[in-house]
Amino acid sequence: MFSTLFGQSDAQGPPGSGALGFGSGKPPPPLPQSQVSLSGQLPPQIGDEGPMLRKPGASNEPFYLLRDLPVGNELTGNSNLITHYNLEHAYNKFCGKKVKEKLSNFLPELPGMIDCPGTQDGSSLRSLIDKPPVCGNSFSPLTGALLTGFRLHTGPLPEQYRLMHIQPPKKKSKHKHKHHRLQDPLPQETPSDSDPKKKKKKRDDDPDRKKKKKDKKKKKNRHSPDHPGLTGSQPNSSSLR
Amino acid sequence: MAEKFDNLEEHLEKFIENIRQLGIIVSDFQPSSQAGLNQKLNFMISGLQDIEKCRLQLNEINVPLEVFEYIDQGRNPQLYTKECLERALARNEQVKGKIDTMTKFKSLLISELSKVFPEDMAKYKAMRAEDPPS
Repeated sequence: MFSTLFGQSDAQGPPGSGALGFGSGKPPPPLPQSQVSLSGQLPPQIGDEGPMLRKPGASNEPFYLLRDLPVGNELTGNSNLITHYNLEHAYNKFCGKKVKEKLSNFLPELPGMIDCPGTQDGSSLRSLIDKPPVCGNSFSPLTGALLTGFRLHTGPLPEQYRLMHIQPPKKKSKHKHKHHRLQDPLPQETPSDSDPKKKKKKRDDDPDRKKKKKDKKKKKNRHSPDHPGLTGSQPNSSSLR
Repeated sequence: MAEKFDNLEEHLEKFIENIRQLGIIVSDFQPSSQAGLNQKLNFMISGLQDIEKCRLQLNEINVPLEVFEYIDQGRNPQLYTKECLERALARNEQVKGKIDTMTKFKSLLISELSKVFPEDMAKYKAMRAEDPPS
């Protein structure tokens, strides 16, 4: 770095180093300080290979290879860039307070198990980028003929597909979502429950289901004063039929 | 700008709610639910049409790919913003430190060289003063 500013007294560079201002032949020996100003006045044939690095009229200058200073930039790392771009509010919002880790804290209204990695159930956004879906076709409503393909069999879904509707417990949603959202996919009173064979199946299936039904009963009894005082220890109530 | 996002958000919320209700119907299907199911299916298609219309307004929006990694891991995307800001601040401080150190070094070097080569340094300072940065 110093050699480029002030010349190099002990240069042993190769002959091809003319770009640095060292011409062919021996470099001049180190001179005493009083003669430094004369050493800059070299004959033009030496150092001609590097004219692009000299300022115009540099042959009269005492300094070799004195480059122009770089253009100063007003905005450097010396200034606080967050203040410069008016991001203090954003900084205080995100870095001042604790940001919760889970995705469900960012999207509390979204149903389903969204905190699980997307690769597990094939719902990752990355797969959407890697294999983009077919676009460009128009969306047209389904006609009667097409809707015949959506005629389903009656009855509940198989066990392995039911978990998609179960939402993780939400602390805030007890009072707000209790009345206008259906948390439980299994209806309590349906015409299919009148089938005695199905009734038996349901009773035999899960003890957990019974517990859930008991809890629902208790909640129902709290809100409807017309109901007799049924307790959870009576499984053979009319609501099951 | 915010209106475009609000519009899209509203359509997406309606779409998701429709799908959720569709799932509830399907989870324990009854013959009487067929009409409702057909209606929900057509709502789903009209919802997709609405979202498609919103897409045209948001062509210029760029989203960093790293945010998608956070979402795919089930993490809050605001953590990405937080980490970006923290990294920017750390880098800002690092560069400021370098600039301050180099400035001090320059002034120290000039003062020491002025002691050893006073005439040359006087010429150098005069030259620098004449030619401001271009």
